[in-house]
Amino acid sequence: MMEVIGSIVVLLGAGFHFSAGLGMLRMPDAYTRMQAGTKASTLGNTLVLAGLAFYHPGWGLKLLIIVYFVLITNPISSHALARAAYSIRIPLAGNTGIDALRDEQQNLRSKT
Amino acid sequence: MTRRVFAVVAIVLFGFVFATLATSYTEQHSLRRLAESYVQLVPQKLGAPNVITGILLTYRAFDTLGEVAVLFMVGAGVVLVLNVDRWPHAAAHSSEEPRPSSEIVQSGAQFLSPLIAIFAAYIIMNGHLSAGGGFQGGAVIASCVLLVLLVYPHYQLNIEFLTITESVAGVLFVLTGIAGVIVAGGFLDNRILPLGQFGAFFSAGGIPVLSILLGIKVGCELSVILDGFRPGPVGQKDKV
Repeated sequence: MMEVIGSIVVLLGAGFHFSAGLGMLRMPDAYTRMQAGTKASTLGNTLVLAGLAFYHPGWGLKLLIIVYFVLITNPISSHALARAAYSIRIPLAGNTGIDALRDEQQNLRSKT
Repeated sequence: MTRRVFAVVAIVLFGFVFATLATSYTEQHSLRRLAESYVQLVPQKLGAPNVITGILLTYRAFDTLGEVAVLFMVGAGVVLVLNVDRWPHAAAHSSEEPRPSSEIVQSGAQFLSPLIAIFAAYIIMNGHLSAGGGFQGGAVIASCVLLVLLVYPHYQLNIEFLTITESVAGVLFVLTGIAGVIVAGGFLDNRILPLGQFGAFFSAGGIPVLSILLGIKVGCELSVILDGFRPGPVGQKDKV
């Protein structure tokens, strides 16, 4: 029973990984691709490791540490990449409506 | 069109190679003679549950010493070649002010780097018990240094300290080997210290000592190499 549950959770995680890959291929610009890769793969990793925890309950603590590590590092690294991409002016997709970072920087400039 | 044909031919040839590999593969049910003797000898004679570390730090420790020497030469070469300020046309590049990293990245690095350092120490200390050892742990230390260098572009590594530590670790490694010649069976023999209880933290004779020295040496060497990749003269970055 536990193995069936674990397999389903791992499969769910694989589905999220698949959507991450699909997003990398289909999204229009660097930022949305990065977002697809990060969000979906973070959740996918978490689900795959949770599924493993169903298989081997003894590994629970170690898997929890790995999940924690992924939850910290994945968003931070993609944030750093996106920020670097923005500051070397990689263009946004044509139909992007809101650029909050630009508005923020303009606000700062108008205040000083 | 011809490119397509070439691609198809290449794929078919690769498929042929991998297919022959896959069909001719037979699983080995017993170890080869050399492997078998290692698997028996390492736990018996050396008292180390991790056979690979036992081989690397005793039977082939001389080879490991050679590898570390090669790594040292790589470090020296990188520092020599990448000393960017000696190149006349590189001046414009190096004067560019690096952008400070964002607050999220800085807090993340402050949180992560101690954890990475602890993990490196764990890997080095448990080299004789589980997967790991000096080389791997040293690489993890260097990854911690790399994280700090990426997040704080102005951070100054103390290159002199690193070089001296590395040399001292190397000298101690060789001295441990010579102690093996005097006390035990030969150069880098691990039975200079009592073997202790099999599988305990303090066991396997000199292997943990060699592992720690190797970890320190590799970590320092790789850190110096990483520092060599930054712009500016070695050891005095950002002293403008």
